[in-house]
Amino acid sequence: MSSTPPGAPLPPEPLPTGDRRSRILWGGTHVEGRRAVLIALASTVVFFTVLIVVVVNSPGWDEFSAKFLDGEQFLESLPGIRRAFLVNIQLFLIAETIVLVLALIVAVLRSLPGPVFFPIRILTAAYTDLFRGIPTVLVIYTLGLGAPALQIQGIPKSPFFWAVVSLVLVYTAYVAEVYRAGIESVHESQVAAARSLGLSRWQSTRYVVLPQAIRRIVPPLLNDFLGLQKDTALVALIGVIEAFRQAQIDSSATFNYTPFLACALYFVLITIPLARLIDWLVARDRRRRQAGAAA
Amino acid sequence: MRKWFLIVATLTTLAAACGDDATPPADDGTPTESPAEGQTAATCAEEHAADFFQPDTLTVGTDVPAFQPWVAGTGERGPWEGVPDEGTGNPYSGEGYESAVAYAIAEQLGFSEDQVEWVAVPFNNAYAPGPKDFDFDINQVSVTPEREQGATFSDGYFDVSQALVANEGTPIADATSVADLQRYRLGVQIGTTSLDLVNEVIQPEQQPRVFDRSVDVIQALNNGQIDGYVVDAPTAYVNVLIGQAENGVVVGQFPEQGEHFGLVFELDNPLVECVNVAIAALEDDGTLQSLEDEWLADLTYPVLE
Repeated sequence: MSSTPPGAPLPPEPLPTGDRRSRILWGGTHVEGRRAVLIALASTVVFFTVLIVVVVNSPGWDEFSAKFLDGEQFLESLPGIRRAFLVNIQLFLIAETIVLVLALIVAVLRSLPGPVFFPIRILTAAYTDLFRGIPTVLVIYTLGLGAPALQIQGIPKSPFFWAVVSLVLVYTAYVAEVYRAGIESVHESQVAAARSLGLSRWQSTRYVVLPQAIRRIVPPLLNDFLGLQKDTALVALIGVIEAFRQAQIDSSATFNYTPFLACALYFVLITIPLARLIDWLVARDRRRRQAGAAA
Repeated sequence: MRKWFLIVATLTTLAAACGDDATPPADDGTPTESPAEGQTAATCAEEHAADFFQPDTLTVGTDVPAFQPWVAGTGERGPWEGVPDEGTGNPYSGEGYESAVAYAIAEQLGFSEDQVEWVAVPFNNAYAPGPKDFDFDINQVSVTPEREQGATFSDGYFDVSQALVANEGTPIADATSVADLQRYRLGVQIGTTSLDLVNEVIQPEQQPRVFDRSVDVIQALNNGQIDGYVVDAPTAYVNVLIGQAENGVVVGQFPEQGEHFGLVFELDNPLVECVNVAIAALEDDGTLQSLEDEWLADLTYPVLE
């Protein structure tokens, strides 16, 4: 109880039936259970009714709904934003694929033991510290307009290219740390056991540590990808017309903010299935581990 | 500091109030099509005294930094650092076309120079919904029917045409018609009428690059990420003049499309009537033209049709 943050639902642990609190909260008897459902229902209805009444009766509601919730503007802006959203999808699919591989390399390099690899550990640590610290928007801005300003022969000038580079740089730093956490979560005895079987250091990493590590980090890894998907909107800054920029263009042409709602819709359509997938993976992993423990 | 300013403002208001009696006859000499008969901008402002954002002060918004030739002059007052070499100005100087027009309007409304207070308003925020923290914003905002849904605009104080800037010696710099421009990658600033011109008049084969800030558009041209950009002719002139566009030339201007700059007011702000009377008076007595000649000369280019 002491570790539960305020407001978080209590875990449905099977408390002794004699505990009065548990009966009230979790329905010690059938009748009380039904009552709890009714109370929950009533309180939900009251809560949202009050919320809606307060918002709708706020002094600026009419202006707000005309500016932000205009149905006609919404429908008008949908097709253009959908077309532009394809750019976001391209961006995050390409970036996520590269990040997945690059971050693993960075994490493995950073986990190399022994004094010989000290410079490599320093470099990878500096990289992850730096790029987790700099706001993504600054990286995109600086690389997108800065790198082409060097006028070096052969370096692409396409803002799309530099957008991918920026997103990869930032998110590789995050995901490398996730990988590293996974690698470090594998108990040292596993490596010791693998080495004693005659596996080389590389083989024990490849066949013993990584398979266990990666299974554990799938949920936090996908979580970072949710962040990456949203951050593709920052690419607007360097001139690429993606969903957010298209919404901005529509919005400034009409002095109406509803296109942003349409833009948000597309992002949510993509992120919600992924969020559900994460939940499902977590649940499956828990089930497997419990089954493993029982066996 | 603020208190001190208020005291000065109040004193100057008193001074201006005394001076008011002298100004109306001059305006009556050049009757305009004012909404109420015989009404001058000053009497209108007096009637609407309660509608001003701050008492006895004309609060005017513009962007930071503010660029020549719209805002010129030096000085460190407010957030503006007028640096002539960098093409920026300080609106408190009264120099530059928009600064001068704002002070001329203030005079018509019966305000002294000291009663004009400038506030920083980013271009795209001028039309954000809700109350405004200025009486009007003067920032080269073109009046369009769509924009008039979200904010109230004054009559025009400047007629604008758009122009194309490109790097000297590149193929696009030899373009002589709109059709010549279609195969190039163009850049524009978001929320500007330049974007409408690109999409509706030029209709380029490649999607234009759309940036948040005018400096980013110029940087993209310097980088060679775009072939050219469209901006209003006076701005194009300055970009090239002070070397922001390092290799830039103004290729030409597009036919005038009835576009004009208007002052931005909060939606349905009644003060717009008074300001329209002031603008009409400045138009009639030739003030606007002479300010245009003073600050916006040399702004004609070959027309791209």
